[in-house]
Amino acid sequence: MIRAGSIGPAEITAARKRLPTAFAATSWVWSGIGGMAFLAWLILLAVWFDITPTRLAGGLKGLLVILAQMFPPSPGAQWADILHGLLQSVAMAFLGTVIAAIIALPLGFFGARNIVLNAAAHFSVRRFYDGFRGIDQLIWALAFVRAFGLGPLAGLMAIIAAEVFVLAKLLAEAVENTNKAPSEAITAAGGSRLLAIRFGVVPQILPIYLAQILYAFESNTRSATILGVVGAGGIGLQIAERIKVRYWDEVCFIIILILITVALIDRCSATIRSRCA
Amino acid sequence: MSIARESLRIHGLSCRFGAVTAVDEIDLDVPAGQMLAVIGRSGAGKSTLLRMINRLQEPSTGSIAYGPTDVTALRGRALRDWRRDCAMIFQQFNLIGRADVLTNVLIGRLNHRPWLPSLLGLFTEAERAMAVQALDRFGLLDIALQRADTLSGGQQQRVALCRALLQEPRMLLADEPIASLDPHNARLVMDALRQINREDGLTILANLHHLDTARAYCDRVVALDRGRIVFDDIPDRLTPDVIMAIYNITEQEFHAADTPVAEPMRQIQ
Repeated sequence: MIRAGSIGPAEITAARKRLPTAFAATSWVWSGIGGMAFLAWLILLAVWFDITPTRLAGGLKGLLVILAQMFPPSPGAQWADILHGLLQSVAMAFLGTVIAAIIALPLGFFGARNIVLNAAAHFSVRRFYDGFRGIDQLIWALAFVRAFGLGPLAGLMAIIAAEVFVLAKLLAEAVENTNKAPSEAITAAGGSRLLAIRFGVVPQILPIYLAQILYAFESNTRSATILGVVGAGGIGLQIAERIKVRYWDEVCFIIILILITVALIDRCSATIRSRCA
Repeated sequence: MSIARESLRIHGLSCRFGAVTAVDEIDLDVPAGQMLAVIGRSGAGKSTLLRMINRLQEPSTGSIAYGPTDVTALRGRALRDWRRDCAMIFQQFNLIGRADVLTNVLIGRLNHRPWLPSLLGLFTEAERAMAVQALDRFGLLDIALQRADTLSGGQQQRVALCRALLQEPRMLLADEPIASLDPHNARLVMDALRQINREDGLTILANLHHLDTARAYCDRVVALDRGRIVFDDIPDRLTPDVIMAIYNITEQEFHAADTPVAEPMRQIQ
């Protein structure tokens, strides 16, 4: 019988002899040194960026002034421009996500270890995706504005370029995490490799990929609002113009509209996902 | 060495889920130190009964008493102490898969110690010694530092048993402890349960699927059907005729309804 009351120094010694590793103590010295080093690093960064209480307080005061100017929110005189910009942002996000999802579909399979069996090929394909994923949407947008000129086309291209590699990576991981039992059954039934993927893998990844696409749409709607700032179309231009002239009440109104739009998309995508699960 | 063990008295206990009555007006007295099998087919209310005893499931009506303690009235700290006193093991073992065996076993101590060191994952040497003793008792010392999800089902259930023992419980609830195990591991786990019952004098309530297991290991068998007790006696009286009278099926059919059997079905509808 095991009783806490019956455990004395003798029992501890006996147990320690039975299994020394069970008593391996964490090294307090090293955790202490590590903790101190981490803290020192944080302080160093704060010094480097000149983060002082005075500056923080000053910034906070400015923020409060802006907040005060935001209320009450007002649509201003150019209702039509705002609505047009918002619709343009949503349309750019939708079209961009759909095109990116179509391009990413084969790329995702090519990036999956259980589809491309050659380790070197798999590794290089995935690093290729990683490399392009490192380029932010806004950088793409700046480049495309130069290439295609101002307007929503540049923004659309930026969304596609940025999203393709994200979706390809997520899809590749989903494919790698599929259960291989169904495709084994299809191979055993005499099916080809392509058919094994079609019936053994695709049904498993479809709901996952759909969920990822819906999330990408929502996230792109949010980020598409900023593309207008660099002239790549959408509501961002309206926001940037109003910030320049400090029409914070109208900025607030636009932000509220964006929040409502994103919430609506989120709600719709949740409904679709629950139906497809 | 001796902790007062009391008898468990259940009176008029019911549990309803909407229109479904899972447990229906059950009266049951379990004396201290008894090893009791609760049998019945899937959906008979076995799990609900056990889960009401440690209050993982709230009873709709009725009372549960352990000695002078009114279990159904316990709240907060007192309820958590009661759960420590009636340890439970589960069909799916419910170990922390990503934690090692030793940590899983030390989980049994949580109610005995202040929460802050527990939150930081700090356990004393005495507690570690207890865990080593428990693991040693069931031949699990070699795997003490393995991750729990790398173990076989039989090993996992015995680790869960060690965790339960570190709670220093006064009784043990076993909810289908061997339903997910192969025959060899099932026997190891049942042997361990009986050993605990005989050597430590712990009251054990075990939900069991297989009547032979109940007959071989338990002092007393309670059979449930649609939430009611339909048989309550020593295992020897649980004859095939009795099964026929209670469930209106043969013992073979009783088992076949719930567990896959490796023989051709006699009739196909």
